[in-house]
Amino acid sequence: MAADFKTAQPVEYYRRFLKEDVRPDGRELGEIRHTTLNIGSITTAEGSALVKLGNTTVICGIKAELCNPTAEEPKKGFVVPNVDLPPLCSPRFRPGPPSEQAQVVSQLMADIIENSGVVALEDLCIVEGKLCWVLYCDMMCLDYDGNVVDTCVISLLAALKNVLLPEVTVNEETGSPVTDVEKKLPLNIRKCPVATTFGVFDDHYLFTDPTNEEECLATGVLTVVTTEDNKICCMHKPGGTALSESRLQDCINRALTRAEEVRKLIDETINSVER
Amino acid sequence: MQRYYSVGSNMAATDETSALLRSFECEQNLLSRPDGSANVRQGDTSVLAAVYGPGEVKMSEEIIDKATLKVIFKPKIGLPGCAEKLQERLLRNTCESVVLAVLHPRSGVNIVLQVIQDSGSLLSCCINAACMALVDSAVPMKCLVSAVTCAVMEEGRIVLDPDSKQEKESSAVLTFAFDSRENNVVTCSTKGCYTPEKYQECLSACGAASRNISSFFRQAVERRMSKEL
Amino acid sequence: MPTDSRRVPGPQDSRSPHWYGKHATRQEGDTRPDGRGDHDLRPVYLHAGVVSQATGSAYIEMGQTKVIAAVYGPREIARREEFTMKGRLCCELKFATFACRRRRQHIQDNQEKDGALIVLQALEPAVCLDRFPKSQVDVYITVLQDDGSALAAAITCAAAGLADAGVMMYDIVAGCSVRQCGERQLLDPSVGEELSQEGESAEDHGMVTVGLLPSLNQVSALTLDGHLQQQTAVQAVKTCIGGCQGIYPILKDCLVTSTRKKIPALDPKSSHASTEGQNGQT
Repeated sequence: MAADFKTAQPVEYYRRFLKEDVRPDGRELGEIRHTTLNIGSITTAEGSALVKLGNTTVICGIKAELCNPTAEEPKKGFVVPNVDLPPLCSPRFRPGPPSEQAQVVSQLMADIIENSGVVALEDLCIVEGKLCWVLYCDMMCLDYDGNVVDTCVISLLAALKNVLLPEVTVNEETGSPVTDVEKKLPLNIRKCPVATTFGVFDDHYLFTDPTNEEECLATGVLTVVTTEDNKICCMHKPGGTALSESRLQDCINRALTRAEEVRKLIDETINSVER
Repeated sequence: MQRYYSVGSNMAATDETSALLRSFECEQNLLSRPDGSANVRQGDTSVLAAVYGPGEVKMSEEIIDKATLKVIFKPKIGLPGCAEKLQERLLRNTCESVVLAVLHPRSGVNIVLQVIQDSGSLLSCCINAACMALVDSAVPMKCLVSAVTCAVMEEGRIVLDPDSKQEKESSAVLTFAFDSRENNVVTCSTKGCYTPEKYQECLSACGAASRNISSFFRQAVERRMSKEL
Repeated sequence: MPTDSRRVPGPQDSRSPHWYGKHATRQEGDTRPDGRGDHDLRPVYLHAGVVSQATGSAYIEMGQTKVIAAVYGPREIARREEFTMKGRLCCELKFATFACRRRRQHIQDNQEKDGALIVLQALEPAVCLDRFPKSQVDVYITVLQDDGSALAAAITCAAAGLADAGVMMYDIVAGCSVRQCGERQLLDPSVGEELSQEGESAEDHGMVTVGLLPSLNQVSALTLDGHLQQQTAVQAVKTCIGGCQGIYPILKDCLVTSTRKKIPALDPKSSHASTEGQNGQT
């Protein structure tokens, strides 16, 4: 009966729950789904992390390669984030080139990396103007149940913290690089950005961490990315319900608390892996 | 039929913000083929917007209970990439939240935005151009949307409607779009790092400036209608 | 090279750091690097129902090889074609960019296309296609890490996904590979063994992958790369079949567990469970 009602009248179904300040999956409005982390499971990647946020699953693998820096910025390496939303993760995606959604999330990741300064591109330089690292951060969604942005940011940060780069020196005589696989160095992570996404329902109810269904029904979404020094490095609200100043402030405060929790989780997981 | 309006909107400068917008100009109905068009210039930044529709829509993109909005963002040079897609999504959702799409089910509204010159505050200029072009095309709308960009300089000063040089020197650039009814935030996009306090400051500075812009929009429409009728 | 405008662009070209490194010394000897015998499988972990959005899905680990498969359908055929009494099975195989030592590209390459075809060949005979006319079942497989025998793992994983989706099948499919290095037959090879030059000069060297319908004991797909004498080839296929039979109990176990979870009445943990329910499975 409930299932029929949900199919026929999804919005009304949702409204009934929200009236009681609870969501159909049993969460409170501000509650975030259980987050689990698995770091370093892909041994072919220089760094990797699998993150589950409720059902939503994203795996991030980082491959490091060597390349020439650009003439304009000879001291800088590259970080190239790409998000893949394959047809595997949800029936809404079809095979073929990246969907609009995938492109938007990829660009958002690139913006977050740049704005937060999680990795200083100068750290990736090996020889000025000659040789630098390029970090290909590929995030692949394995299960799309809403809120991929938050999940991608966590997986990216955890994978970056897991990166070990082999030491590379340049042979003086031949000028060609030499890799020392034995000696591996971690990456210097300058900032820890964490995203929190909010959904607005019926232009009134504000809830955190929307599922796929909730995203479809939401009249607006808002993503706030904060770093550990309590700064905002990205505030992304693409249209939708107009929000007042006080509600935005409320979102920022909640994002700051949530980010603290996630950073703790990442650090704990990394410590447990190393032990 | 061409109309030309110009405003050098001067706002009372508060202590910390140099709350001056660059000269703001808007020209409507300057293209003959589209259903609506507008050219908005903020200082040297210039964006041309054209609206086609409501009209036919591809079968695959058809939505049963409302119109499908599509935004095509054309950069001045080069092919559009991921960054442009993000802009398109942002612009489309912004327009979607003010257009009464339910009045035109199973049809399509296409908005084409061509960047003519980018000298800073491009996103806000795009949103303003799209809004004016929508008004010109007579697509039913809930309210107007007006956007303002501001830059937080290294020393903490807030500059409204920055040019490219100021954007480059700044530590953060924030763009807000407000609806004209309650002046709430419809769209927000930011670059760089800033504190929540600075965010609030920027928000209220932009909010105040956006009122000027939306009253300018209103005047523009009023004057035009009085001449046409 | 034309750049892909739908992805965040990187530098024009880049090279793996391992390209410049000293190659790791290969271990020679009778035992395999991981210490198992020539005809031993690596430990297998198989779990069904991992993708919440899919009709059915499965995840398999064979040693370090990790493969995930999701099944969607039966659903409408995307491009409308003529009416068919038989359903259609579609397969797509993708390696994650970070799955191998060398970074792979986003765009599907030939290895992936060939792999998808073999998986399709392996699965098609097992699926009752006439049960869903004018619709299709999509099987999407992603190799998250390739540490050898990725194709065999893909076959097993996809079959488990199909069964989990409740698609009617005559039998399950199990996949297994053998690497022939001269005299030696290495079952379920790791990537080091797959690429090793050992036995390259010998008369017999090659790789055999078999998809088997275990309870019918029929081979549904067979692929052979390299150079094998007829007798050796037959022997290699037999070894593969042996390997598949070894995987079969794991497949069964995994499906029983996932079915139990889906039907609360069968789950011994739920209060609803009856004692008979537990024995109702084979």
